[in-house]
Amino acid sequence: MQANKPENFYQNVKDALAQPDLKMIIRRTTDKAEAKRAEAIANFPGFENARKQGQKVKDHTIKYMDHYLAEFEKNALAQGTIIHWASTAEEASKIVLDICRQHEAKKVTRSKSMLGEEIGLSHALDNSGIERVETDLAEHIIQLAGDPPSHIVWPAMHRSREDVIKLFREYHKDPTYSEEIIDLVRSARRDLRTKFLTADIGISGSNFLLADSGSSCTVTNEGNAELTITPPKVHIVTAGIEKLVPSMAHAIPLLRLLTRSATGSEITQYITFHNGAKRPNDADGPEECHMVLVDNGRTKMLADGMEEMLRCIRCGACMNHCVVYKHIGGHAYGSVYPGPMGSVLTPHLNSLEVANKQTHACTLNGRCEEVCPVNIPLPKLLRSLRAQSWDKKYEPLTNRFVVKAFAALAKRPMLFQWVSSCGVIFMKLCSRKGWIRSMPLAGGWTRNRDLIEPESKTFMQQYKAMKKAKSDGA
Amino acid sequence: MSQEIINADVKGAQSNAIKCLNISEKKVGLFVTCLVNTMRPTVGFAAIKLLEDAGCTVDVPESQSCCGQPAFNSGDDEGTRQIAYQTIKQFEAFDYVVVPSGSCAAMIKKNFVEVLKDQPEWLARAEHLASITHELLSFLVDVCDFEPSGVELEGSYTYHDSCSGYRSLHVYEQPRKMLANVKGLDHRPLHGHSECCGFGGTFCVKYSDISNEIVAEKAENVLATEADYLLGGDMGCLMNMAGKLNREGHKEIEALHTAEVLAGLAPQILGGKNASK
Amino acid sequence: MNKQRNEISRERIFDAIRAAAPTVTADVKAIQAEAADILRESEFARPDLLADDAADALVQRIEAGLVIGTSCEHIATMDALPNAVDQFLAKYALPKALQVQRIERLQKLNWGSLSTEVDIKNDNTVGLCWAEYGIAETGTFVVHSGPDMPILLNYLPLYLIAVVPRSKILPYMDDYALIANEIAQRGETPRNMCLISGVSGTTDIEGVLIQGAHGPEVLHMIIVEDQ
Repeated sequence: MQANKPENFYQNVKDALAQPDLKMIIRRTTDKAEAKRAEAIANFPGFENARKQGQKVKDHTIKYMDHYLAEFEKNALAQGTIIHWASTAEEASKIVLDICRQHEAKKVTRSKSMLGEEIGLSHALDNSGIERVETDLAEHIIQLAGDPPSHIVWPAMHRSREDVIKLFREYHKDPTYSEEIIDLVRSARRDLRTKFLTADIGISGSNFLLADSGSSCTVTNEGNAELTITPPKVHIVTAGIEKLVPSMAHAIPLLRLLTRSATGSEITQYITFHNGAKRPNDADGPEECHMVLVDNGRTKMLADGMEEMLRCIRCGACMNHCVVYKHIGGHAYGSVYPGPMGSVLTPHLNSLEVANKQTHACTLNGRCEEVCPVNIPLPKLLRSLRAQSWDKKYEPLTNRFVVKAFAALAKRPMLFQWVSSCGVIFMKLCSRKGWIRSMPLAGGWTRNRDLIEPESKTFMQQYKAMKKAKSDGA
Repeated sequence: MSQEIINADVKGAQSNAIKCLNISEKKVGLFVTCLVNTMRPTVGFAAIKLLEDAGCTVDVPESQSCCGQPAFNSGDDEGTRQIAYQTIKQFEAFDYVVVPSGSCAAMIKKNFVEVLKDQPEWLARAEHLASITHELLSFLVDVCDFEPSGVELEGSYTYHDSCSGYRSLHVYEQPRKMLANVKGLDHRPLHGHSECCGFGGTFCVKYSDISNEIVAEKAENVLATEADYLLGGDMGCLMNMAGKLNREGHKEIEALHTAEVLAGLAPQILGGKNASK
Repeated sequence: MNKQRNEISRERIFDAIRAAAPTVTADVKAIQAEAADILRESEFARPDLLADDAADALVQRIEAGLVIGTSCEHIATMDALPNAVDQFLAKYALPKALQVQRIERLQKLNWGSLSTEVDIKNDNTVGLCWAEYGIAETGTFVVHSGPDMPILLNYLPLYLIAVVPRSKILPYMDDYALIANEIAQRGETPRNMCLISGVSGTTDIEGVLIQGAHGPEVLHMIIVEDQ
C-alpha cells in the first residue's frame, strides 16, 4: 500500500469512503479505545487534577525550553551520550544513516517511533541497503505489508487477522499454520528473537527526555524497546525536542495520563529509563549511545503561537474520539500523524500549503479537546490554521467568494434581511410537500439529504408585521 | 457505552450563570440567528413566548443578521471582526442577550474576544457582550429559574445535544429538566447523544460525503430509540438530521426545536405538517 | 559526525527557541522553584492505593488481576525461595532448570536438584531475578542494570520470577523518582532503570490481548519478608 500524499486529501477521502469494510475495521479499534479510556477515567477520581498538572508540566517546560534543552544536553553528554542536532527531517535521517555507515551496520532493529516515521527513516534505511527489522508487532505487520501507519498507537489497526495470517506465512521463516491470534504472535516472537540478538544497531524513539539526567524514557507493552536497545553495540534514539520534561518526577504525571488516554491502562508493562551508554562492567548493554534531537517544525510552532500543540504526548485519544477520523481512517490524512493532532502538526512538519485541506475536515465539535489529557485546544488551533490559510489564499476561489459574499451581507443587516426574504421565496418554489429535494446552489446539501421547507415569511418579516398590527390596533 | 460514562466528561463542568431575582426589570434582547430567521421562525416566536412566560421583557432589534460563524470558521478573521463590531453595537446595551442556538451563542460568547484580542477597547466591549449572552434553554433554567407549566404533548422524545451547546456552554441538564414538565412526554436516551451529527456549518457542504456518513450513523441511532420526536437546541443540527431522516424515507419521527415543544407550539406545527403531507 | 553541521543546527534551534515569543529566559532558581511547585500537586492527582501498607497494596493489586499475567506469593526468608521456585516449575510442568541472576544473595541459596546458571536458550527456561524496589501504585518491580544484572534476563525468558524485598516496596512511582534522584546525587545512576508491571503483551492483532509477545508470558513475584 502506497502512502497517500496530504495534498491529495479530497481524493484520499473519496477512496476511504468507498472502502466497504473501512468503518468496521476502524471501529474495532476506536470503540474499544473509547470504552477503555472512559472506564479508566471513571476509576480515577483525580484525573482532572492529573490533567491540570500534566498541562502545567508541559507548559512550564515549553516556557523555559532553551534552559531545559541546554540542561538535557549537558547531562546527556555527562552520561557518555553523543548528542546530534537536526533542524530538518532530512538532516535527522542522514545523521542516523551516517552512524549506521560509520559502524558498517548491516542490520538494525527498531522499536516504535512516530518521530522515526516522521523523518522518513524507514525509506532511508531501505534505500541504503541496510536490513531494517521493525520489532513492535504492529510496525512489523505494516513493514511486511509495505503499508504506512494509520494510527499513532495502533499503526496496523487497518489490517485484519486474515491479512496477518497471509503476511506471516509468506515472510516468517518458521510460520504457524494456525489461525489463532496467539499462534500468530508466537510466530512473530520466533521470527524476531534471533534478529534482536544479532542486530548491529538498535534504534528507538523516546516518550520522554528528562532534562535533569539527560535520559530517555521508553513506554511499551511488549518490551521490544529493551530487546531492541540492549543487545546491539550501538543505540540510537530519535526524538523531537518537545519530548523534554524537567525530571523523572515530572514525567510521572504525564505517564499516568498517557497510558489511560491511549489504551485505558493504568500503566504499561515496560517503562525504562535509558541513562546513556554501558557503564564499566555492565553485564550487557550498548557500548555507544547516540541521541538525535529533532526540530523539524517544532520551533516554528513556538514562533507561530502554536506552542500548545507541543504539549502533545502522542496518546491518540483525539483521533479515537474524532467523528471524522472514525469515518475516514488514518491513511486518508496522508501523514504520519492523522486525526485532530495530525491536522495541526502536519502543516508545521510539512507545510500549510500541502496540508491545509485537512484543517477544514473538522466540524469543530470539540470532543478532541475534551479528551486531550493535556488540554490542547485543538479546535482553536485548527481554526487558527484556517485563518493563516485564508490569508495566504489557499482556499478555492468559489469558497472564498461565498464566504465573503455572506459576510458582506451580514455586515448590512437590512440588505441581509431582504436577501433572506427573497431566499425564502426561492426555497418555497423549490419545495414539495414540506421538503426540498434539490435546489440550485444547494447541491452540497441536497445530494445526500432533504432541506426543510421554510415558512412563507422570515421571522423578521412576521415579527415586524406583528408589531405593526399591535401598534395599529392600540 | 453507558450514559453515565459519557456524562463523566461533562460532570463538574456546570454553567456558572447566576440566577436573576428581578428578571422583569431587565432588558432582554433576542438574537434570532439566521437559520431561525430564514428556515424556522416558529422557534423565534417560541423563544419570545418562553422568555415572556419567565417574566422577561423581550426586545428584538430589527437590524440584526448573522453571528459571523461562517466567516470565523473559514478563517476570515477580518470579515468576522466586521460582523462582531456590528453585533456588539446592537446588543451591548441589553442586560441579557438570549440566543435560541448553542453554536451562535458560543460564537458570541467565546469567539468575538478571539478575533478582537489585539484591540483593547473592542475587546472590553466583546467581553461585556460575552458576559451577558446566553443560550436560550440554559438561560430559562439557570438565570430565570423557569419551569414551563400547562404544556402537554403525548409521546416520547430523544435528545441530541449539539456540540457547542454541550461542550462550550454546558447545556445538558436544563432542556431535560424543562421537558420533564411536559405532560405525557417521556424521554428515550439517544446512544451517542453528544456525538457530532456532522453538520459543522460549512463542513456539511465542503465535505458533504463525510458529513453524510456521519449523519447516516446519527440517524440510525435516532431511529433505534423509536421515539416520536427528535429534539435539540440548534437548528443546524436539527435540519441536518431531519433532512437525512426524510431522505431515507422515515416519516415516523419528527424533529422539533426544544423551545417549540416547551412553548406548546408542537401540536400546531405537527398539525400543519400533517396537512401538507 | 560532521561537527560543523551539528553546531550550525544546534545554533539554529536554540536561536529559534529564544526568538519565539512564549519562551522566557529566567534565572535557574526561579525555574527550579516553579518546577518544584508543580510536583506538590501530585498528592491530589494520583490514584488511591488498594491498601494503606505499600506491600499489601501491591499484593492486592496483583491478586485483583490488575497486573497482566502476574501472580504473587510471600515467603518469610530467602531460605524458602528454592522451594517456592520448585513449586512454580511444577505448576507449569517446566524442566528443573533456570537462570539465576549472578548475585550472591541468590547464588548462595541451596538450590537442591534445580539446575541453575543456565543461559536462556529456550523459552521454557525460567529467569529468576532480584528486584531493587517494588511499586504498589502500578504493581511494579524495578531492576537496575549493572555488573550483576544483565537487563535481558528480564526480557528473554517466557517465564520470569522476580524476588521483591518487602521493605523496598514503595507506594507511588513518585517515591521511586525520589530514590532515583538520590542515586543520581551519589553519581551512581545505572544505565537502565526498568519499571516492569506485568508481562510482555500486545493487542496489535484485532485488539485481542496476547501475553508473551517478545518477552515473558508469565510473571511470578515472590515477596520476601526478611532478606
